Amino acid sequence: MASLRAQLLRRKPVTAMAEETGAGGGAGELRRTIGLFQLSMIGIGGVIGTGIFFVLSKAVPTAGPAVVWSFVIAGVVAGLTAVCYAELASAVPVSGSSYSYAYATLGELAAMVVAACLLLEYGVSTAAVAVGWSQYLNQLLENVFGVRIPEVLSAAPDAGGWLNLPAVVLVGLCALLLIRGTSESAKVNAAMVVTKLLVLAMFVVIGVRGWNSDNLANFAPHGIGGVYGAAGVIFFTFVGLDAVSTAGEEVKNPRRTMPLAIMIALGTVTVMYVATALVAVAAQPADKFKEQEAGLAAILQDVVGASWPGTVLAAGAIISIFSVTLVVLYGQTRILFAMSRDGLVPSVFRKVNPRTITPVRNTVIVAVAVAVLAGLIPIDLLSEMTSIGTLVAFIVVSIGVIVLRRTAPDLPRGFKVPGYPVTPVLSVIGCVIIITNLEMITIVAFLMWTAVVLIWYLAWGRRHSELGKSEGLRAHTEGPS
Amino acid sequence: MTVLLGLPRGERATAALGLAALLARSSRTDLVVCAVAPAPWPPGLAKIDAEYQEYLNQVTQEALDSAKLAVPEDVAASFVAVRARSTPHGLLEVAEKHSASLLVLGSSSTGGIGRVSLGSVADHVLHSAPIPVAMAPRGYRYRAGSTVRRVTAAYGATHGGAGFAAAAAAFAGQLGATLRLASFAVRSGPVITAGVGLRAEEGVLSEWSQHIEQVQRDTLARLAELPSDISPAPPALESTIGYGRDWHESVEDVGWTDGDVLVVGSSSVGPLARVFLGSRASKIVRNSPVPVVVLPRNDELPTT
Repeated sequence: MASLRAQLLRRKPVTAMAEETGAGGGAGELRRTIGLFQLSMIGIGGVIGTGIFFVLSKAVPTAGPAVVWSFVIAGVVAGLTAVCYAELASAVPVSGSSYSYAYATLGELAAMVVAACLLLEYGVSTAAVAVGWSQYLNQLLENVFGVRIPEVLSAAPDAGGWLNLPAVVLVGLCALLLIRGTSESAKVNAAMVVTKLLVLAMFVVIGVRGWNSDNLANFAPHGIGGVYGAAGVIFFTFVGLDAVSTAGEEVKNPRRTMPLAIMIALGTVTVMYVATALVAVAAQPADKFKEQEAGLAAILQDVVGASWPGTVLAAGAIISIFSVTLVVLYGQTRILFAMSRDGLVPSVFRKVNPRTITPVRNTVIVAVAVAVLAGLIPIDLLSEMTSIGTLVAFIVVSIGVIVLRRTAPDLPRGFKVPGYPVTPVLSVIGCVIIITNLEMITIVAFLMWTAVVLIWYLAWGRRHSELGKSEGLRAHTEGPS
Repeated sequence: MTVLLGLPRGERATAALGLAALLARSSRTDLVVCAVAPAPWPPGLAKIDAEYQEYLNQVTQEALDSAKLAVPEDVAASFVAVRARSTPHGLLEVAEKHSASLLVLGSSSTGGIGRVSLGSVADHVLHSAPIPVAMAPRGYRYRAGSTVRRVTAAYGATHGGAGFAAAAAAFAGQLGATLRLASFAVRSGPVITAGVGLRAEEGVLSEWSQHIEQVQRDTLARLAELPSDISPAPPALESTIGYGRDWHESVEDVGWTDGDVLVVGSSSVGPLARVFLGSRASKIVRNSPVPVVVLPRNDELPTT
């Protein structure tokens, strides 16, 4: 049996990863087909829609109108981390998630920590966006039919209801689509990007008519701490930028395209977010944001004095959030699938239904867990939990870049972080600053969750690891002969 | 065992006749060519449209006559004209009389050239009688004297798969053809913005392939152990998996040659169901470049 230290640090050989994904279906060869435009679209599509539609109700009470700066800070940190992530991804010439990159470069323990973060990020953010979806659904129902789903069935117990039924239904619908087998092509993504950008542009263009400088008078009522605190809440609206990094394998001329695409996507998103936030805080007093549901639609209705802009915006938001829920739920199932193939979670997650060719049980388990979260936990807590998961994952990735430069300086990398070592260090510092400004309960909950995952790993995963098995086998056969 | 051909009208007759001759030759049996014309109605008062009835008889006879010329000499064929209130009715009557074990029909004219399409007659027959139905792609041509060399069974590896595999093996054995189990996968693309890489689905597919290969191996092992004294066993057993981005690509992927026949099982849903082919089977049939035989759900094939 390998020593504990060796177990924690064992890395998955890149060749094994290539074999795994290459089997069946051919198409094993590398095709570099993605250009700058498409990669930027992947970035924008991955990011927008995860939270801008409802994050203001939590972020503005924390920071006041200075929330605009929170968006800028969160955007800069997200950019730094994405660049670091891109280097790590490019060092592993196999497509995967940050979990698989960590496994190949940093070892099993780091992979487990990243996995814990990712499970939190994906699982909780699915729940969070599903809750946001139910708000806009209610708004649309009220505007079009004059009815609302009763409070008891559209809010979590902590927010004055019993169960957030629409959120649960949304998760169920997405799970059904995933079980049937669904994919998102570049065209579908482009259509979604256009929809999302149009919805936000409509908000800015119409909302700016309600500009009232008085609302900006008390710009930063809670000081710099409030701004950082809000940045933590907001950070999860930038989740998804890593989709750019994971596409690295198929990108044409990654050395140039990768950083440019990250910049373009991040620039577009940040500008849209800042404009949206600025218009929103100028249109209504900061204290009105608290617990405002379907915020953007409500603001537009107040500005215009009619319900139609709210209706259009709510419809756009419903479509956007639906697609995001689908995407994130998908990501969650595929990460568990990869972990299951590595033997770090039970094999039930890798069972593929012979008819649908999708991991049905995996999808059902994930959907049930997410639906419970979405139905019972209020949105504020969910968004902070998502942020911390992402931030810690990115810290691991950024440290990983530094570690890898020292331990494997000759490893071929398709893309290198510009401004090394400042960039990864800044990335770590940025993430740490945002994390320390999150609420204590979030940090404690996160630590508990990570502890649970690590205990799981020590008790079960490290003994069942496929990598461990194959190493053990090799030691056995190559041993005394 | 007798092969019964329900003679379609017009240009579709050639492809159907070719397939019927191919199957009869391969299974070394005789061929009955049957033309069905509508029965006079109302019964007993046929005199009122005697001219029309005469015309029908003439058309039927002409069709049979040209079929006689087209049937290859090495196949023993007899020709029957029947009057029945519906085509499936007439065909089933004749099938019973000649104890036919296989019915050949023309591909419906709703399908394109080179495609197999099941029409209403096939639908009726598959609903009412446990007899395999064969159809040729429209415009299909056969080399003189050729036989079926390989039977490809579209194998879903799901419930009822074992019974179907046994039936397909028996069918291949009767024709003296190799049996090939084929499973088809339609590869779906990844969700590109999910941040799990663009190859996420390949892992799922490879996991699926491992499972299917295992099931195929098990099934082939079981088939190899079947006693061959009751019905002849296929000379060889093999298996394959077809991949593609859609059903057409996936079906093409397994490779087809002259002398190939595709076999699918009729749907495993209950007797009241209106659909006789599952959604997958019907997609595979639509994209088949070779003649298709639909085996009825009954696990045992009628043997003679």
